[in-house]
Amino acid sequence: MIGYYFRLGFHQLRRAPVLTLLIVLTLAVGVAASMSTLTVLYVMSGDPIPQKSERLLTPQINNYPVDGGPQDGNLPTLLSWTDVRNLREDGRGQRRSGLYGISGILYPERDGLKNFFVDGVAVDADFFAMMDAPFREGRGWSAAEDSAEARVAVLGTQLARKLFGEGPAVGQEVRVDEQRYRVVGVLDRFSPVPKFYRLDGSSRAGAGEDELFIPLSTAIAIEKDVDGTVSCFQQTGPGFQGRLASECVWLRYWVELGSASERSDYEAYLQAYVAEQKTQGRLPRADARAIARDVREWLVEVGVVDDDVRLQFWLAFGFLFVCLVNTVGLLLAKFTARAADVGVRRALGATRGQIFLQYLSEAAALGLAGSVVGIAGVFGLLRLLASQSPDLEAYAQMDAVMLVTTVLVSVLAAILAGLLPTWRATRVLPAVQLKTQ
Amino acid sequence: MEIRPILSALSRNRTGALLIATQVALTLAIISNAASVIRDRLALSERPSGVTDEASLLTARPILNARTDLAALIRADLAGLAALPGVRAVTVTNQLPMGRSGWSLTFSAGREESAVSTNASYTFDGGGLLETLGLRLIEGRRFEAAEVRELDPEQSAEPPREALVTAALARHLFRDEGPWVGRVFYSGNGPQAGELRIVGVVERLTTPWGLAGEEDAYTVIVPQRFLNSYNYYVMRVEPGAEAAVRTAIDEVLTRNEPDRVNTGIYSVQELRERRYRNEKSVAWLLVSVTVFLLLVTASGIVGMASLWVNLRRKQIGVRRALGATRADILRYFLTENLLITSGGVLAGVLAARLLNQLLVRELSVPALPWDFLAVGVACLFVLGLAAALGPALRASRLSPALATRSV
Repeated sequence: MIGYYFRLGFHQLRRAPVLTLLIVLTLAVGVAASMSTLTVLYVMSGDPIPQKSERLLTPQINNYPVDGGPQDGNLPTLLSWTDVRNLREDGRGQRRSGLYGISGILYPERDGLKNFFVDGVAVDADFFAMMDAPFREGRGWSAAEDSAEARVAVLGTQLARKLFGEGPAVGQEVRVDEQRYRVVGVLDRFSPVPKFYRLDGSSRAGAGEDELFIPLSTAIAIEKDVDGTVSCFQQTGPGFQGRLASECVWLRYWVELGSASERSDYEAYLQAYVAEQKTQGRLPRADARAIARDVREWLVEVGVVDDDVRLQFWLAFGFLFVCLVNTVGLLLAKFTARAADVGVRRALGATRGQIFLQYLSEAAALGLAGSVVGIAGVFGLLRLLASQSPDLEAYAQMDAVMLVTTVLVSVLAAILAGLLPTWRATRVLPAVQLKTQ
Repeated sequence: MEIRPILSALSRNRTGALLIATQVALTLAIISNAASVIRDRLALSERPSGVTDEASLLTARPILNARTDLAALIRADLAGLAALPGVRAVTVTNQLPMGRSGWSLTFSAGREESAVSTNASYTFDGGGLLETLGLRLIEGRRFEAAEVRELDPEQSAEPPREALVTAALARHLFRDEGPWVGRVFYSGNGPQAGELRIVGVVERLTTPWGLAGEEDAYTVIVPQRFLNSYNYYVMRVEPGAEAAVRTAIDEVLTRNEPDRVNTGIYSVQELRERRYRNEKSVAWLLVSVTVFLLLVTASGIVGMASLWVNLRRKQIGVRRALGATRADILRYFLTENLLITSGGVLAGVLAARLLNQLLVRELSVPALPWDFLAVGVACLFVLGLAAALGPALRASRLSPALATRSV
């Protein structure tokens, strides 16, 4: 029966076409505005590595000087080289990797290609397995190559294609700045969104793939300059060595545990580490401490979802709500105009329940029509958002979940808006209507 | 005009009136808050940087990581760029207002723990910075070319001893209105903080990041050329010569060192556009939400008013037959609309304040000024009347003969 009502509903859409169009458009703009902002929020607060986000931890250590640096109790979002080196050497956890941003000029050997600028990261051998990074060709480097400070590199898909076309990249050499690296592997589209492993709270940039990966030990050995935030709160010695020896913070560190239950052990280890460092005269603050955050906690700490995104989301939902109220009015007009129909149907034996179902089905049909127009609107708005602010580009992506949600929201909104007008339709007195015919 | 009959008619048809009033209230709440956010973001993106004529100040940032004699290369670049026709002044620096990346250091008024301390952007004057950027000096003097030292970060980390500061920073550090020349402040805080003496004060120079508050104008300028490969060359260009100079810059830089990568030539105005793109897009999004909201509300009012006119054709006919003029009918519907809008606006003012309190608390949105609310209220009254005018006019044109026809 519902199927029949639904077909009837669609049939009714063609009656009073102006009103129908108004209702569908009102629903569609409301749905488009709210769902496009919801999509951005949803992608931003998504889990970039759900299979192990609880087992991937990143430590934060308070190494601020006693009278310098922030006094607000917050921990630095980056680590000093001393701490990263110590944590790597202690070797806790199943896998571990230090990390910092690098960049440089790439000198291609292919004809017709000019020098260009590449972004990348220096990481440890475990990084690729830890982040479940898929390889298109070759593999990551080995722990032995790590300790030998080997001049090896893993490339992103796009960079490999740009340099070597469709041919094999593994075994080739790339020159970045004054250093030559042997390519050992090529990643296959590795771009977690948000790019949690690099975020440090300084920007929302979660976009783009890293193109070049080199061993952290090699980067330190060749004094590869940092491309990213470096925070110092004391005068440091000159050059790269001065920075290595200092308490400046500029690296990240990730550790993968065998299971999430090992977390408390790891945190206990970090506390012990802080105590041990204090005996060596480091971490001078009385409240010096260390904590570990898992991926989701980290995304909250660095504030991926910022206030502007939330503001857009809430205002867009307010907008949807106004559209909903408007739809109630329009449906009221549409259904009131058909009081005579209801009178005839009631007189012919339809119960109030049946009238209710029929008109609600019509509202749902309107919602479905609204969702079709709305989805087109969502795609348009997302594209506009991405072009207006490149920061949002990685997040303005629609997926199946959001597509289904959009349809559901639209239909649900229409049914909700249809409740009052439908109830009013069932109150029609058949006698009065028949008399006025 | 009597309001009593209108009220009694409304009380018999509450649903529609309530719907419209609710819609008006929500619309007012959202658009007045949206408008205040729009103004806030646009004001942020239009703050002066201290640089005069941003469009004719070109910047280039060629990057070279190979170890060469950077001091000599920078000197050659500066000479080459200065010799270009159409270029009035050239300088080299580490950062620019709204350039989005740069140096920041902690500075304090004293070494004791209680001293005022703040972060400020740390800008290098590689010779002629003030002249090139067009910064206004309000006290003291600028750096002489002889004072500018070439600092190789691999060799030395010796801090400078003299600095220029912005008036905003001096005011914040010393908590007074000057004069500030000759006074001492510190880079860092705590006992090891380095001493800096103020030789001059510039009116304004903003940070590369475009920070939200007054901190955006906290800048310290020291006389040095930092010998790394991430410097900006900044050129003051004569009006009209801009396009020609752009291509010439690339030629000079490539000629002096073909191996480097030029990351693009941007005027400071273009840097501003890039820095504030997000703010602009938020503003733009809210403008479109506001426009759509007004359209939707207007369509709701038109729809509801038309419905009422249709439902009351007979009554209108009776009134006209009993001597009511067209103007009376028109006035009736417009007054009815005014009453509903007034109710909605009243609730809307309350809702706008509540929504604003929520937004201020949760999302660091600016407090809603009363004049914005007043404009919003006026907007909705006009919108309501304009939307109701069509249906009301149609009602006034209904013929009195309708009353005599049986329905």
